[in-house]
Amino acid sequence: MSFGFMIGVFGVLILAHAAYSTIQYRSLLKILEEEFSGLPMNVVGELLLGLVFCMWAALTVPGKFLSILPYSEENRIVSLPDNLDFMVFNHRGKVFPSKMDLKLKR
Amino acid sequence: MVGAVEEAQLNRLENQVDNGGGGAWEYLCLVRKLKVRRSEKVLKHGLSILNDPKQRSKLGGEEWTLYEQVAIAAMDCQCVDIAKDCINALQRKFPESMRVGRLKGMLLEARGSWKDAEVAYSSLLEDNPLDQVIQKRRVAMAKAQGNISGAIECLNKYLEIFMADHEAWRELAEIYVSLQMYKQAAFCYEELILCQPLVPLYHLAYADCSAAIAQLSKGRNKEDKDSSELHTLAAKTLEKEYKQRSLTKLPLLTATLRNLKLPS
Repeated sequence: MSFGFMIGVFGVLILAHAAYSTIQYRSLLKILEEEFSGLPMNVVGELLLGLVFCMWAALTVPGKFLSILPYSEENRIVSLPDNLDFMVFNHRGKVFPSKMDLKLKR
Repeated sequence: MVGAVEEAQLNRLENQVDNGGGGAWEYLCLVRKLKVRRSEKVLKHGLSILNDPKQRSKLGGEEWTLYEQVAIAAMDCQCVDIAKDCINALQRKFPESMRVGRLKGMLLEARGSWKDAEVAYSSLLEDNPLDQVIQKRRVAMAKAQGNISGAIECLNKYLEIFMADHEAWRELAEIYVSLQMYKQAAFCYEELILCQPLVPLYHLAYADCSAAIAQLSKGRNKEDKDSSELHTLAAKTLEKEYKQRSLTKLPLLTATLRNLKLPS
């Protein structure tokens, strides 16, 4: 998990560096009084690399994904919860002797 | 709703805790979340946590929830003293609480003193007339005393106010089925299917009811062909479900029956 996390941090740093380069490039263009038509190729490459790293980290770090299909084998509803609000206490379990002599210590 | 994954996890934790491994608190939390009724195990493991002061202080604020859970499990296992001790501990911490008052009412129920429990619940309802759980406890008390028609009446009045409570609809359906009033039970199951259409077990129970209605009215009304389609579909679904569930159990059952010797 920590390896994925490191990759994620690295990806964010690459994106930050790409942002800084873009700002510097724009200020350079303002000095030269040219139009801002496109980014230099290395900044675009840096952006794509940062994107790949961040996506990979986002998919691996959180762990196992849960299934959302209601009829997949994992989500198959096996039994309903017992209605505990309507539980009665005078069932036939009274005749079983309670095997434990436990007490709450106080 | 207990899914297949959660059931496997519950069984695994149960085996682990029973054989001496740790994880009792996890098991108790899972039981509380899934709302299953494993009172003996909850009592045993809950008491082992509560009697150990180190583990108890590790829980922090959650120990009171554990006290409540263990109290209810103790009442279910008929260990009234343990329940009384837990409730006293809760009373000391939360003197004027509705939840503790409710637990005291349940303790009176478990002892069998129905009149005192009724008095306790009525006094709690005076302060808070719209408390759902206490009204449901009154229904449960009527059911426990054997007064099924009183329970049905109480439950109907409750459902007129709180129509969205699916547990109450399910309880009403089961009571009607136990009295063989299948048409009313089918109505309750229809309500359940409307609230929660993705739970297959309600559909199966509804199919059961429809099949029962069809069988009972088959003898009386031979010209009724229109509504029989639903009933034949219901019967087919049930057959598939029974076959799936009984595949493993059928050979065991036949072998046992074959080995059964009748006394002559």
